Amino acid sequence: MANKRNAAIFAALTVAAVAGILVWRPTVIIYGLQAAGLYASIAIPMGLILGIVHIVNLAHGEFMMVAAYLTYMVCTALGIDPFVAMLPVALVTALVGFIVYKLTIRQALKAPELNQLILTFGLAISLTQLANLLFTSQTRKMSFGYVSASVSVGELSFGVYNFVFVVIAVLMVIGLRLFLTRTTAGKAALAVGQNPRGAAIVGIDVDKTYGLVFALATGMVGMMGAIFITRSSIFPAVGSPFTMKSFCLIAMAGIGNIPGILGASVLLGISENFLKAFRETRGWADIVFFVLIITVILGRSIKGKKA
Amino acid sequence: MKLKSSYIVVAVLSVIAIAFPAFLGAYPLNVARSIMTYMALAISWDMLLRSGQISFGIAGLFGLGSYASALAVLRGGMDPMLSIVFAAAFAGLMAYALGFAILRLRSMYFSITTLALMEIFRIVMHNLHDFSGGPEGVVLPSVIFNGSSPALYWLCLAGLFLTIGVSWYFEKSKMHLALTAIRNDETSARSSGVNIFNYLLIAFVITSVLQGMMGAIQVQSYGFTTPDTAFDANFTLLPLAMALLGGIHSTIGPMAGAVLLGVASEWLKLKIPYGHLVVYGIIIILVILFMPQGLFGLARKARRERSKAGASHE
Repeated sequence: MANKRNAAIFAALTVAAVAGILVWRPTVIIYGLQAAGLYASIAIPMGLILGIVHIVNLAHGEFMMVAAYLTYMVCTALGIDPFVAMLPVALVTALVGFIVYKLTIRQALKAPELNQLILTFGLAISLTQLANLLFTSQTRKMSFGYVSASVSVGELSFGVYNFVFVVIAVLMVIGLRLFLTRTTAGKAALAVGQNPRGAAIVGIDVDKTYGLVFALATGMVGMMGAIFITRSSIFPAVGSPFTMKSFCLIAMAGIGNIPGILGASVLLGISENFLKAFRETRGWADIVFFVLIITVILGRSIKGKKA
Repeated sequence: MKLKSSYIVVAVLSVIAIAFPAFLGAYPLNVARSIMTYMALAISWDMLLRSGQISFGIAGLFGLGSYASALAVLRGGMDPMLSIVFAAAFAGLMAYALGFAILRLRSMYFSITTLALMEIFRIVMHNLHDFSGGPEGVVLPSVIFNGSSPALYWLCLAGLFLTIGVSWYFEKSKMHLALTAIRNDETSARSSGVNIFNYLLIAFVITSVLQGMMGAIQVQSYGFTTPDTAFDANFTLLPLAMALLGGIHSTIGPMAGAVLLGVASEWLKLKIPYGHLVVYGIIIILVILFMPQGLFGLARKARRERSKAGASHE
């Protein structure tokens, strides 16, 4: 009962805060939502891996970076749009992900968590430095006219292109939900995620499922890499902040709770953009995320102690 | 007898290390200093790892130490030597305060939190324009010892010796038993009366003191620092790779790893200006997959097997 009341009060406060900001600084909400879309659509594949394979993939953002470079090469060579290159790039990244899984992560599934963490950390460094080796640390950018599309409502004018990320994030959640509940492979994946040994007993090929899930998730993040390049310049280290942010969002939502990632992203996106709205606090926007991650982790640990 | 001979080896090696400036030029001494810095960080990282806690925040405490020392000299007019002690104490104090919160976390949550703390320190230093110089960082009026490279070398060596000494003490004292017990099974350690939190806090504070001290020595010998150099992720990454390659849970392993990788990276840096760190990433992957105990772990295993084979012969 008390819990319900608390939740209601919390919801009311959130609505009030959002409404207040919306009237006062509408761009905070708009850009916050756009940023949230980007964060969520990168975090969701990582959440899938963490929820089913139970591996913290610290090379997650790096896969996106690799896909972005791949898109850059394909698009400059053939003169096509990243949205056209999106699917082939996603397929190639999925294949890379599958190979990486088979060669490295599969061998460490039984190892202590520490080893897995360091292994994916090593993967992340290898990928970043490989990009450094091949492309140097120079930033690359592709520009497209449609990115700067904007809409004016009254006196307010804002870019709309980045809403594409919100759409993708929502589609990802719906698509994954359908995949996990309606298809045989998805149901198997869900079962493996809940209890690998039990799944193996009823005849599910656990290793194949892990490989499939890993490939699917890297394919999704590869697709994000292709879209990412339309709005940002890329450099070898571009992916690593997203690894951290994704992990933070997943930790906030709770492992295995994929729709929760959307909510967590909105919180992160809006609070970051709230600080960016003022000149004095602009430089501090990056800190929001790190403070948030520590608060969430500590909060969970204290709550866990009480329960 | 065996113990004595190993003491002699240690003594000879340290005399050689102390005498290096007599027959090496400024460039090799500089390389040696950077290797020693990484070695000290690798050992200190390993010291905490012996309790099963993996920290990704070495660079955070290292950078905190550099800033504490630089700002103490610049804003407080402190003596550079004293500022190194101050920085070490400051890092320790911070670790003590933070430890109460974050040492309750385990496994990946602890690691991620240390990483996040490092980023917070960096962003704070980035944004406190008036106090820490913002993104441009701080420049000291003069380098310690007027930049004489043998003196800088000895200073760094002193920091390294202290680290090795503390790590050796950790290995030989009750700490070793307590930390190993915590790593192996926390529940059984607690039920045998090990005060887990206290031991973790001691280990965390001591390793932070050492990391902060190395940061202070670094900033005093280069005379400047910026948020991006002081909190460079390489200060987390390289020690980690070194310790893993050499063999974790020991003092000698990280030392050997640091020498191997340090010399190799100097050489690679000249050959491949961009991306030579890819070697580090690949080493980390290969070590984790094929020899999680590192070079010294392999050596130990081989020796044990040989002695077992010898025993069965008799």
